[in-house]
Amino acid sequence: MAGIFSRLSAVWHSDLALRFRRNRNAMIGSILVSLVLFVALFGGLFAPYPYDRINMAVIWEPPGAEFLMGTDALGRDVFSRILIGARISMLVAASVLAITFVIGVTLGMIAGYFGGWADTLIMRTVDIIFAFPELILAILVAAVIGTGTGTVIVALSLVWWPGIARLTRSLVLSLREEMYIDAAISSGTHPARILLRHLLPNIASPLIVRASVGVGFIVMAEATLSFLGIGVQEPTPTWGGMIRDGLDSLRTDPHLALYSSLALGITIIGFNMLGDGLRDLFDPKMGER
Amino acid sequence: MAAVLNISGLSVDFATLRGPLRVLDGVDFSLEEGEILGLVGESGSGKSVSAMTVMGLLPDTARIAAGSIRLGGRELVGLGRKAMRPLRGRDMAMIFQEPMTSLNPVLTVGFQIAETRMLHFGESEPAAMRKAVEMMEAVGIPDPAARALDYPHQLSGGMRQRIMIAIAMAGEPRLLIADEPTTALDVTIQAQILDLMLDLREHTGTAILMITHDMGVIAQMADRVAVMYAGQIVEQAGADDLFDRPAHPYTNRLLQSIPSARHRVDRLKIIPGTTPSPRDFATGCRFQPRCEEALPRCQTEAQALADYAPNRLVRCWRCFEPAEGVA
Amino acid sequence: MSDTPLLEVRDLSKSFVVERGFLGAPRKELHALNSVSFTMAEGETLGIVGESGCGKTTLGRMILRLLEPSGGRILFQGQDITGLSQRELRPFRRAIQAVFQDPFSSLNPRMNVRAIIGEPLENFGASRADIRRRVGELMEVVGLRPDMMDRLPHAFSGGQRQRIGIARALALNPKLIVCDEAVSALDVSIQAQILNLLADIQKEFGLSLLFISHNLGVIRHVSHRIGVMYLGQMVELASERELFEAPQHPYSRALIASVPEPDQRGNRRERPLQGELPSPMNPPAGCTFHTRCPLAVARCRTDVPQPVETQGGGMARCHFPGLLNHSQLEPA
Repeated sequence: MAGIFSRLSAVWHSDLALRFRRNRNAMIGSILVSLVLFVALFGGLFAPYPYDRINMAVIWEPPGAEFLMGTDALGRDVFSRILIGARISMLVAASVLAITFVIGVTLGMIAGYFGGWADTLIMRTVDIIFAFPELILAILVAAVIGTGTGTVIVALSLVWWPGIARLTRSLVLSLREEMYIDAAISSGTHPARILLRHLLPNIASPLIVRASVGVGFIVMAEATLSFLGIGVQEPTPTWGGMIRDGLDSLRTDPHLALYSSLALGITIIGFNMLGDGLRDLFDPKMGER
Repeated sequence: MAAVLNISGLSVDFATLRGPLRVLDGVDFSLEEGEILGLVGESGSGKSVSAMTVMGLLPDTARIAAGSIRLGGRELVGLGRKAMRPLRGRDMAMIFQEPMTSLNPVLTVGFQIAETRMLHFGESEPAAMRKAVEMMEAVGIPDPAARALDYPHQLSGGMRQRIMIAIAMAGEPRLLIADEPTTALDVTIQAQILDLMLDLREHTGTAILMITHDMGVIAQMADRVAVMYAGQIVEQAGADDLFDRPAHPYTNRLLQSIPSARHRVDRLKIIPGTTPSPRDFATGCRFQPRCEEALPRCQTEAQALADYAPNRLVRCWRCFEPAEGVA
Repeated sequence: MSDTPLLEVRDLSKSFVVERGFLGAPRKELHALNSVSFTMAEGETLGIVGESGCGKTTLGRMILRLLEPSGGRILFQGQDITGLSQRELRPFRRAIQAVFQDPFSSLNPRMNVRAIIGEPLENFGASRADIRRRVGELMEVVGLRPDMMDRLPHAFSGGQRQRIGIARALALNPKLIVCDEAVSALDVSIQAQILNLLADIQKEFGLSLLFISHNLGVIRHVSHRIGVMYLGQMVELASERELFEAPQHPYSRALIASVPEPDQRGNRRERPLQGELPSPMNPPAGCTFHTRCPLAVARCRTDVPQPVETQGGGMARCHFPGLLNHSQLEPA
């Protein structure tokens, strides 16, 4: 037992932790992100009302004791919907991150390490996809395979993996000349092993930063698609959809649009700050001696 | 005659996450006019920090904790940026190890030399450029008028270092600080550059503070030598004295551990252990953990740099008690 | 000892294409290595010394097959390994290992010492228990404490990391280790420790070392024979004693004279070698050294000197090996 505490204490006082704690961005960012993740995971438990409970008697209630953030056009509790909306946003974000990173990192490493025709093939594909404006592409995909959460995930993944591939490739290109790669080749190490054991762990840091900042973009894109009516469908609440619904009544009953925008904003800011903070942390450290 | 440079009791601290770290501790040395002082040491010895401190080029995380730096009698410690600027390039100049990173890639080399003249002597651009070409010739650049219009990347490493020297000498400084000026150069080019520096010293009387880890370079260039270890000067002597009869055990062992191209030994004498980082400087004598001639008091009592012989200083208990038994 | 040399290199060359013409045909080539030949015996250290652009690093990388030769042959224990694919090369990788220059980038910063030293063993199928045991043995051989094997590279000093690199090179019991500037990045006092260590393990394991360095003092100390390189060619190959007592090639002589040393203070020596190192992309015609050679005559500007045997039994690429001054030349 004491062993665990002393290990934790050692980590808490380690150089990395010290710098993390001093880094304002990282600290604030991680607090916000933790909040959002907590809500996404457990928010449903705290929702005072079911998110789809329609009650035409209490439409457009202003925020008050009964409905913390008021109600919308169908009398649904905005607070509960915001809580559930967090789950949707994080679900989409996690899915898209997972898919794009698996595909993007793998292809990027192959392109960067082996070069040759594999590199050409992969990078030209990346260039082609980059030629399309992201949103248009997402809308196109939705038009083809229909609307819904699944569509959003597929569309955003398709649009996002090239960026990850390109980043990974350039990271690999710069690391490929390191002497420990030469040493591994001289030791008879198999190329797949070199990719997994030598390259991947050493490119992890910038990729983590990219992931963190990327969440902000994904959440925003998902909100945009929902705002346009292409994404997640009613009655499942998404912040984007709620913003759209609230826009018409902005003058009279601003609470719907306001709170959902706030939720969206806090999430994006939180992930961006965390990403910035992590980037500073992972950067070559300022000389301690 | 006032010494060109006089450093006394200089201590420098670096700020770290865990508090200030002393990397230079009570360093004293001086340079007379036209003299070449070699400052030699390995990594962590503090030799480069010394140079940076004199030029006022320490990073923001460092501060001068104590001591004085007098350039031609004038105190430099405590001078703000504004007051330091006219001195740099004019009274004292510095050349670095990597000429490529010290030269501005988007300006011609001729202009970079001329800049010094324009800034410090108020010369007009045409006059300064003429002087620049003169300087380039003085540092041995063939066809200087044409080369003056080249950009740094068009020149070889040896040429770039000559340009650095020309920029430094254009200000007619009394003190030239050279921080590992030939370490990045090939050995035949190094020989040319060192030769050049000796020529310049003869013609202009500029004092040179030569900082390097290479004992061979020191032997060729220096009139006097100061050996640094763990942030302190451990021995100071004329070059002949130092190389013929090294006093401090570190100096002695160091000289014996360098493989020579002139004669071969079967086995090199080594210094056990590793050079300490500032965090791990020992109490008492800082070399004691690696010293094979340590006395009991070396572990507990730190010594000061003391007179060992005329014009020789050494920081060592053993040197004054050669007969006593080893700890 | 068998007659077949451990390593034989014949007319090894390497060119890099720097610029391509219209349809992909090479327009400008960099000749990094030009027809280099030598042999190495078991248990011997061959030093390769030279300045920038001489091709010594390229030579080392080609022997390790990290680079493919453009021409020539490499024979190891009599077998031609030049054209082998990476897969066919695997058995030879056990026998030819390397220690690299930079103790900071030659070790994967995220792998612990056991994984680093054990990697060659793992590649050839050793069990975890075997690896652990062997890594411990190797660490002791190079002077490191085995209980440090779970630590990461950043916990070690530069000299210690180089020892880790040496332990890794020894793991598969190689016959030849290529040391590419293995001590150049180390402090002088640490350098001596590593040089002594290399001498010890060479004796203990009967290794051959191909020791590449720009530092003449280090080369003299470790080598039995030395090859001097200039602009991609080996201009002299001689025993250590012969090279330093009676260098045959003017460049070797100039190189040795350029090294500043403590026991030649004060006296300004003979004028240093003039001129710049020519760019490997535009090597001079005839003898590549003629632009800087104090003894160059007309023939040197036009005819490429072939390797000739010298008085001491070595080799020099010079029309007048051993020449000290012009008065020794017979009238044309």
